[in-house]
Formats: sequence, C-alpha cells, structure tokens
Amino acid sequence: MFNYVVRRLVIAALTLLFITFLIFALIRNMPGTPLTVAVSEMDPSRRLDPADLERISKTYGLDKPWPQAYVIWLGNTLRGDLGQSFSRKQPVTWIIGERIGPTLLLSLTSIVLAYVLAIPMGLYATARSGKLDERTTSLVLYMLYSLPTFVGGLFLLLLFYQELDWLPLRGMTSDEYDSLSSWGKFCDIAWHAVLPITCFTYTSLAYDARFIRANMAEVIRQDYIRTARAKGVGPFRVLTVHAFRNTLIPLVTQLGLTLPFLLSGSVILEQLFTWPGMGNLFFESIRERDYPTIMGLALLFSVLTLAGQLLADVLYAVVDPRVSYS
Amino acid sequence: MPNFRSFVRPLVCLTAATWLLAFTVEDNECPFATKKAHAANAQKKQSSDQKQAAGPFVAPPLAELDAKAEWIDQPVKDTLQLMREKQAGEKPLASLKQALALKNKSKQDNERIASALGRVATDDSEVDYEATINRHMLRDVKSTNPIMGSSVEEFDVGGLTGAGLFAFDWDMNRMASSDTVVSWQTSRDRMYDKVVMRDDLTWSDGQPITAHDVEFSYHTIMNDKVPVPAVRSGVDKLLGVHAYDDRTLVFFHKEALATNIWNVDLPIIPRHIYEKSLNDDFTLQNSPYHVKYESNPVCGGAYTISKRVRRQEIVLTRRESWYMHNGKQVRDKPYFKEIRFRVIEDPNIALLAVKNGEIDEMLLTAEQWVTQTNDDDFYRLNTKASGLEWTYFFFSWNLHTPFFSDVRVRKAMSYAFDYKEMLDKLFYGLYEQSNGMFHRGSWMAPKKQPPLYKQDLDKAEQLLDDAGWEDHDGDGIRDKKIGKNLVKFEFSIICPTVPERVKLCTLLKENLAQIGVICNVRQLEPTVLQDMMLNHKFEAAFGGWGTGADPDTSDNIWATGEGRNFGFYSNPKVDELYKQGRLEFDRKKRGEIYGKIHSLIFEDQPYTFLYFRNSFYAFSKKLRGYNFSPRGPFHYGPGFSSIYKAKN
Repeated sequence: MFNYVVRRLVIAALTLLFITFLIFALIRNMPGTPLTVAVSEMDPSRRLDPADLERISKTYGLDKPWPQAYVIWLGNTLRGDLGQSFSRKQPVTWIIGERIGPTLLLSLTSIVLAYVLAIPMGLYATARSGKLDERTTSLVLYMLYSLPTFVGGLFLLLLFYQELDWLPLRGMTSDEYDSLSSWGKFCDIAWHAVLPITCFTYTSLAYDARFIRANMAEVIRQDYIRTARAKGVGPFRVLTVHAFRNTLIPLVTQLGLTLPFLLSGSVILEQLFTWPGMGNLFFESIRERDYPTIMGLALLFSVLTLAGQLLADVLYAVVDPRVSYS
Repeated sequence: MPNFRSFVRPLVCLTAATWLLAFTVEDNECPFATKKAHAANAQKKQSSDQKQAAGPFVAPPLAELDAKAEWIDQPVKDTLQLMREKQAGEKPLASLKQALALKNKSKQDNERIASALGRVATDDSEVDYEATINRHMLRDVKSTNPIMGSSVEEFDVGGLTGAGLFAFDWDMNRMASSDTVVSWQTSRDRMYDKVVMRDDLTWSDGQPITAHDVEFSYHTIMNDKVPVPAVRSGVDKLLGVHAYDDRTLVFFHKEALATNIWNVDLPIIPRHIYEKSLNDDFTLQNSPYHVKYESNPVCGGAYTISKRVRRQEIVLTRRESWYMHNGKQVRDKPYFKEIRFRVIEDPNIALLAVKNGEIDEMLLTAEQWVTQTNDDDFYRLNTKASGLEWTYFFFSWNLHTPFFSDVRVRKAMSYAFDYKEMLDKLFYGLYEQSNGMFHRGSWMAPKKQPPLYKQDLDKAEQLLDDAGWEDHDGDGIRDKKIGKNLVKFEFSIICPTVPERVKLCTLLKENLAQIGVICNVRQLEPTVLQDMMLNHKFEAAFGGWGTGADPDTSDNIWATGEGRNFGFYSNPKVDELYKQGRLEFDRKKRGEIYGKIHSLIFEDQPYTFLYFRNSFYAFSKKLRGYNFSPRGPFHYGPGFSSIYKAKN
C-alpha cells in the first residue's frame, strides 16, 4: 500500500507539471493580455499610448516569451510564491485564501446535505419501486435535475426576496455585520447562505438520489439478497446492510471526484448571488487575463483532482476487502 | 497498473530542465516578481531612477517667472454654486409632488421629472445630512490608488476620495476648484500655469496637503518604473511641475496649447506615505507596506474608504477634516454621511435591488427603460429620468482591407443600412441618429450639419458598381478582380456578445445580403474583441465612443497612426486641423476647426455613424439634485456632489 501511494504521488507530481505547463501555454496564447482589458474599460477621456503599454508590459514581465515566463513562474511557485494578481493588486495566495471559506461554506454544506437527503431518498425509492409515491418523487427529482440553477435561483429570488422579502438578495453578510455579536454574525451568514445552498444542493440531490437508486436496483436483484430475504432478514436490514453496503463503491468514487468541486465553486450561482467564491474568481481572472491568479487556481484544482482520485482509490481498499494494492 | 514509463521519461527531462532554468534566471527578470526581488532590484537602481524621475528639467526661480509671465487670472469656482446660480433663473416645470407622482412615459414627463427633481439644494434644511446613498457599481475597482486608476469606476471612487485642483462644468468649461485652490493664473504666452493652493487642506491622517504632494505625484506618474495605466495621458505633455513653497505650484508646458488646461489635472498622492517606499516597490502594490495602503489609503478628498469587500462593496465615509479646519467650517459639508458602492454585475439583479430599495440609482438599459420599469412595483420607491449623452456608436471599417479602402464602398455600406428599423424597432424610438462624432448640440459640431444617411439600396448598388464590385460570375454575390484573383465581397463584422449589438450587426447582415454582399457576424469576448481592434485584425467592427471633456481627446481616434485609430483612417487635412485646434484658444474659432474635422470625417465615412445613446437612470424617490450632462449625471462638476437625499 505504501509503495503504491508513493508511486502515485510521483506520477501525480509529473502530471501536475504537465498540466500547469499546458495551461500556462494556453492562457498565454489566448488573444489579449491583462493590459488589453485595462484599455477596454478605460474612461473615454483617458488614453493609453502604445509606448505606455510597452512600458507597463515590461514592468509586469509580459514582454517575455511564455516558456521563459513559465519557468520563472514554476521557480517562484516552488519557493511558495504564487505571485501578485494583475487586476486585484494583491498576492494570489491571499486572494485564494479569502475565497476558500465562503466557497467551502456552500460546497461542504451542500454536499453533506445532498448525501444526507439522497441516501434515504434513494433507499426509499428502491423499497417502494414502481409505486405511485416513488414515481412522483422520481418525477420531481428529474424535474429538479433538469432545471438550470440560474433559472431556479432567479425564481427563488423573485419569490423569497421580491415577493415575500424573507431572504436577502445578494452577498454573504449584511451592512451591519461588523456590529453583530458572534451568534448574530453566524445567523447573518446562514441567512444569506440559504438560497445559494438550496440552489447548490437541489441538482446534486436529484443526481445522487437517482444514482443510488440505479445502483441499488442492480444489487437488489442479486442472489445474495434473495438468500438474505430467505433467511428471514427484515426488509430494512436487507436494504441498508446487505444491499446498500455493496453500492458504496461507485458512491466512494463519486465522493472522491467531488473533492475538486469542494473548492471550485460555481460561476453562475456565485455571480447570481454575488457570493465571494472561487468559481466567480476563476471566471473573472480568465476574463481579465489575470495570469498569476489563473495559474494559482489551476494549480489548486489540479492538486485537488489528483488528490481526490488517489483518495478514492485508497478508499476502495477500505470499503471493498477484495481490492488490495499490495 | 498501466505502464507510465513511456511518458514519464520526457516529463522527467522537462522537470530537470525547468528546475535548472528556474534557478539560473535572475530574480529581476521575474514576471510575477517576488517582493524580495523587487527590493533588491530597487536598491540597485535607486540612484539612477531618482535622477530619471526628476528629469533634466530645472525650474527657474519664482521671482524670475513672475517678472516675465504677465499672469492672467483664470476662473476659480465652486461648480455647485454655479449650478445654483443657473437654476435660480429657471422655473421648475413641475412641483416636487407632481414630479414624484408622474410616470416617465413621454419626453414631456421626462422634462418635468428632471426639472423638478434636478433642483439642487439651496438651503441646508432640505438635506438629510445623516443619509447613506447606495450606488450601483457594475465592476469592482481594481485599485484605490488614484494614480493607478483607469476605469470609470476607479475615477468615480477617486473623485470622491481624492483632492482635485481642477474641475469642469456641464458645458465642459474649465476652472480651478475653489475647494482646493485660492488662485489660478496662466502666463500670457501660455507656457506656465501658477496655482496657489489653500492652506486648510489635510490628508485623512492629519498631515497637510501641500504643493509638494502635487509635485511628487507628478514625478511618480512620470516615473517609467511605475506602471501607471491611464492618468499619464495629458500629464506627459507637461514639461514639469514645481512646488515653490507649500502652497505655490507652477505647471510648465512644452508648447502653448489650448489643451494645456486639461493636462494640468493630475491625481494627488501623499508624499509622506510613498516617498520612501516608492524605491522599494515601484509597482506601488506588491510590498506589504503598499498592500496596507492599498486597502486603507490615506485620502485627500471629501470621503475616506472605510470598508472594502472585494467584488461586493466599497464604502466611503464623509471626512470631517475635509470641511472642518481648526474648529471652523471651511468647505461645504458633503451631503452624504456614507456612500456605499454595491458591486452588482448582473443588470437583472441590480434592477431587483433598485425595486426593493437596496440601491438608490442605476444606469438602465434601453430595454429595461421601456419594458421593466413601468409598473407600480418600480415606482413604489423609484422614478426614472434620462438625458442625452455624447456617446456615439458606429460600424468601423478597416481601410487596409481590399473592401473598404475605397470611399465609395464605405458610403455604399452606409446607404445600405436600415436606420429606421434600428431606431424604431431595436431602440424603441429612444435614440437619435448620429451624423458624425460631435453631437449637433455641442459647441464643436459644424454649423452646417451634414445630412443624415437614409437607407437607399439603389444608391448603394450604384456605388458598389462604380467601385468595381459587381457580380461577375453570376453567383449572386458581388466580386472584384484584385490582381489575378476574383475576390468575393464577403467579410466579418466583430461585436461583443451583447444581444442589442448582435441584433444591430445582424440587421446590417440582412441589409447587405439584399445588395449581394455577405457579412458574417462574429460575436467575441470583450478582451478578444479589444485585442483584435488594437492589432487591426478585423475587417469591420461595431463600437462606441464616449466623449472626453475636450474635443482634442478624439485625435487619437482619427489622426494618422494614433492609438485608437483601429481602422487605419488617414486624412492629412484632419491631422493638420487637429494641430490647429490645439493652437487655437478662442472657443468659437476652435469650434469651427472641430466642425471642419467632423465634416471631413463624415464625408470620408471611415465609420458608418449610427446613433447617440441616452443615459437612462433609475433614481430613488428620495434623491434630489441630479442633472444630466453630456457625460451623464455624475462625471462633470458638480455631478454627484449636487445630489442629496431629501429630509422628508
């Protein structure tokens, strides 16, 4: 097992190098530079001469060929410096650090919520397969799954913000947040997070419940389930212990693959709710050609994806005694 | 396990090579340089940079200057007071009550609303000085340092937190601001401007704002090592700036130009904060010290930044030390206690926020104006008003393509377009057609207005025939023999992915199809679009320009080889007239020169001029004192500073 993990880590490091190289090449060869954006947003009474552009390019090191710039970026990254964002005038590590909390707040809560709700729903659907209530739940779940989050989000806003005025429109905190007590602050954030979490959760809930139901449908037909039933094991125990345990493997794979999702956030939802998360940051930094931030985020997501896969592989061995890497 | 050996070997080689390179490249070549590298690099070059920043310019003694200058007094005024005086002679077209009850459905309604609610406060008792205004901000500011600003949003914030020496009114008349300046004089030969600053100005940390701060700001802006994005334009036309004492400042010009009065406007940063740190970090944003002041800047204006949550909001708080000095009130108390800029990128969400009173003003799109702001839900807390802006939109033709090098072809394009459909259907009859870059109501527009283009397909076809673009091979598409090749008239027009603009380009495509020309509409991400324009890699493009405060700012759109002349337009007469315009000081005569430029360009049709955009705004019913200038309701003097919340 130890050897396996070490081998995987070495491969992961090389993959990482390859990914960052590729992304660096891609973003540096996209049309436009951070300065192009500055020009397009400029006040009409101001202007930027080509000589000025050249001068600023030089200060930011944009005049260098990209392979050289990559090597420099890599060198700095290995020394723990991800550089300075062009557009936000802050170190990249700060910017990412600032966004981790709000992003995790949404993703972690929604993943936990989705699983907590999806597992019983999936099991219930299996037990009641073909009955009216199961059909209805499935239909609702299908509808939720196919409702795009930005449409769902907008409807929820119209209802809970405009019509009922129960929930806030945007942001993570109220104006008077700073003057609140710790409990007040917690409630304030929770109040702001209700709608984004709902939107984050409902699609994955629908997906997960369907996923569990589909896997269970296969397992439930197996001989050993019939054997268990024949032995006189109760239907609840058959479902949870005998059947569900055997559907855990695909679920674990899926859980491993959600690791990068934990931090990647959602561009559309974060934009809609003005939530200061990672998805929005990634989108903005691409739009702004903010190379250091894009690279910082790409590195983070790559690491998480690789770690997620490794974790899933290791967890296989834990949930399935037949799998062994030694 | 899969066998990875085949791709592992090259990757190992790559890693080794990059490590090797990473540690042999010098620190000072870092693109995203480390702070340490900056410091080391800075120290090495410190002495030479100081010399460079100071330049070869040496200011003569003030006595010598005074003796030869023959100073002429220039206006020092308070733009809010000017607006009060202007309005004193005007009778409002409706009472407040009537205006607030009105729905803005016609031109008359708009005039009545704008006239009644645009009245500035004449008495302090009308103003709720404890009020907060929530303003809509489409994009976050990138930097709070005024010399690092480049976007409209940054100048919005910078205008409130920075001390400015100069201003201009709704007619773009230049003046020094009486808030900061005691006197402004120009030498008879117009080579020097002398400004005496007030002695009751302080930074938000209590230090006095002096002429030395202005001189230091000038040197910082002109320092080649400092990546100043936009405010260098104009300032770079100065020969130098010199502070003779704490209050007396002289701007030295390279040439006697009419535009000199605009070049003296530079944002001021505190010398005591940046003088020492500048040499450690020329970017003004990388070192921890500069990061600290980026988050909490020392401000010289009426407001300070009290809170900043990036991409969410920026909160400004009124600064008592701005209007009070040694226990006495020395300037007008700014109307708002707090200004909260809320960043909302999605216009639909912003409109929801307006309807619920979370923001007090927003710029509406034409569609929002017509279809989404007529119900009681909107009028419950808000009203809306619009004014003409000197922002025009156009199709730009690249003159270095085989299609558009011929003026007849460009005219044919202009004759082919259906302006009526654009104005009536796409813009709901809200916009007016443009016949050139200067609005007919402006002082620089020609007296004899060139006639507006109207769709005339026969004329367009005739012009194309004359230019040799005929359908030679009978496939229904016009073509022309260029060299040995038969070139089809098929080109692409690039535009941003904004529905309204795509519709306009599609209308052009349909119109041109009727005369045997194929036009492909290419929607592009803004950055890619900008990149293609800057590098002249386009055949045709949709675009728009706002107006600068002086018509000379348009020379880099039209003069040969200039920065914003994306379509390679060149007319020696126009180049010459721009030079003349800068040398003429009489506004009337200057106006005639720019009128000629306007007409010459319109005759050449490097653009097909489309329409002038109105500014459409939603305002909270509690707001008063907003007036529209050709640059919208905020970006002029008094602009935002005349807006207040009514007490009741």
